[in-house]
Amino acid sequence: MLKKIALEKVGDLVSALMGKGPLYAPVRGEKAVDFQEIRNPADVTLDFYNTAMSPKSVFFPQSEDMIRYKLGKEAMETEPVPIDTKPSVILGVRPCDAKSFEIMDRHFLGAGVIDPYWKDKREKTTVIGYAFDPSVPPDPADFYNTLGIGAFDTAGSDIFMIRADKELLLKGITEKGDRLLKDLAILEAGSKADEKVFADLSKKGGEVKTRFMDLKDDAVARKLVDVFGNKEFWEKVTAACISCGACTFVCPTCYCFDIADETLFRDGVRKRFWDACMFTDFTLEASGHNPRPRTFQRYRQKVCHKYSYHVDKYGCISCVGCGRCTRSCPVNIDIFSVVQSAMKQ
Amino acid sequence: MTAMKTIEENLKKEAKQLLESGEVAVVIAYGRGFDENHPMPCAITKAEESEGLVFNEYCTFNLARYLPKYPPKTKIAIAVKAADSRAVVQLIQEEKVRKEDLVLLGIPVTGMKDQKTGEVIDNRTTCNLANPVIHDILLGEEIHGFKGGSPYDVLAKLEAMSEDERWAFWKKEFERCTRCFACRKACPMCYCDPCFMDASRPRWADKSPTPDGHLMYHLTRFYHLAGRCVDCGECSRACPVDIPLYLFHKKVAKECEALFQQSAGMKIEDKPAMVNYGNQDSDEMLK
Repeated sequence: MLKKIALEKVGDLVSALMGKGPLYAPVRGEKAVDFQEIRNPADVTLDFYNTAMSPKSVFFPQSEDMIRYKLGKEAMETEPVPIDTKPSVILGVRPCDAKSFEIMDRHFLGAGVIDPYWKDKREKTTVIGYAFDPSVPPDPADFYNTLGIGAFDTAGSDIFMIRADKELLLKGITEKGDRLLKDLAILEAGSKADEKVFADLSKKGGEVKTRFMDLKDDAVARKLVDVFGNKEFWEKVTAACISCGACTFVCPTCYCFDIADETLFRDGVRKRFWDACMFTDFTLEASGHNPRPRTFQRYRQKVCHKYSYHVDKYGCISCVGCGRCTRSCPVNIDIFSVVQSAMKQ
Repeated sequence: MTAMKTIEENLKKEAKQLLESGEVAVVIAYGRGFDENHPMPCAITKAEESEGLVFNEYCTFNLARYLPKYPPKTKIAIAVKAADSRAVVQLIQEEKVRKEDLVLLGIPVTGMKDQKTGEVIDNRTTCNLANPVIHDILLGEEIHGFKGGSPYDVLAKLEAMSEDERWAFWKKEFERCTRCFACRKACPMCYCDPCFMDASRPRWADKSPTPDGHLMYHLTRFYHLAGRCVDCGECSRACPVDIPLYLFHKKVAKECEALFQQSAGMKIEDKPAMVNYGNQDSDEMLK
């Protein structure tokens, strides 16, 4: 199903989507654009390259309450926090980020243990993908082509949106997407001519070239196992690393979390929240022993997890080449270059 | 001002010579990143590696943050711009490094650029000095007559706010914090091991990213850097969500200067303001 709406009516589309439930969309802050829950339709911007933080927080918030409890003298009262997401929409997800949801699904849904928090939000959220603008050159940090993703790829989106000259074209990709499109009375039906515009523009998406290397999942997974013991290599590529967590927090496919009980007086919450393998205390054991005390060991874990262990366990690389880790790194460490030089070892 | 390309050539030459002669075991400087506009801090130990060193307007990193990780008595040459040299001086005052182990490759420079925005970095976010406060070798000519404005001009707006407005301002800024700790990790003066935020017994702030925990983290860090922050601006450039941390640091530095007539990291002979007591010290803050 193809629908369309004039560019000047985007605000009306946003209002209509807000009527369906919580809407998450890109909002321009003082310096960067990021996904936020929309309160005012005018806040939404579709003029952006990509958001600073990834959209993963819509499904996997940085902090999530799981159990509330009250400490008593003898017994403890506990109450699980109900999982009840309202049907939501996330608008304006770039193709590499939409793809990241599918990769995260493998971990949160497909590994035997199903994560109810992720599952509920995923099922009740409709993803409206948004093609990169082919007239804007890709950011030098991006390398989504390397991971087999194109600027107009629809994988991971329920509806895919392309900006044509004077209108937005919206195509239903999944049943969920078609249902939402049908529900939005504000949209006009797309004509045969619009179908052609959509198809032509999609073809043009192939002309958007990010950084690229020929990377076979299995080959890189094996290679990294070989390179694992090459301490000199890892020390060299991580010499500048300051071991902060910026790269993992902006990453759309980093899913590690910590769980803690936080009690104030007698009221407590057990919650889970993002953790990062780059933190010194990530692997710190109760005994005081830390199996990864050095920066190179932590960074090596990050790269090997994404490009090797994830391939073995879930059958794909856990990276979409969105370039955020490189862009946000305070010292310009670039995972693309690190993997590239590992392949040459 | 000496052209950046010339500074780069001088950096390569000096690094090569220092490593060849064995005067230092390591040179901490800038190398090429994934493209020209994205250099990286690097540490080289072989003379032939000096060819890979670079210097351009995006070499904003404060390399002093790498110094404390080397074993004591390691002979190190380090490239320093003005604020970086102040950080080295402060580290010497705090006995984290010894002057006799260091060769400071001073870089007089103005007009460095923020690689995220391309904007020139000036007195709004740094101390804005042009010349290193100490050096052993200069990689370019000293700059004279540079007037960049006071590093505290930028505080006018904040100082004009009422207490409530300021409180609201900071609370809103910290709401964006992701607790990635890039600010403390990029900071040359944040070398505590473990940082109070990583201590688990007692735990000083929530491990999860709560607004109260953000305040605890940032305010404690700000105050722990009182009289020590050299206003290099690295914390704010490192922040992935652009929290203007420099504003708070500048405010504290300004007050420290007023109270103790001493700026952080200006003279090796100074003692850090917060560990030094003098009869002439102001009692202002006790009133």
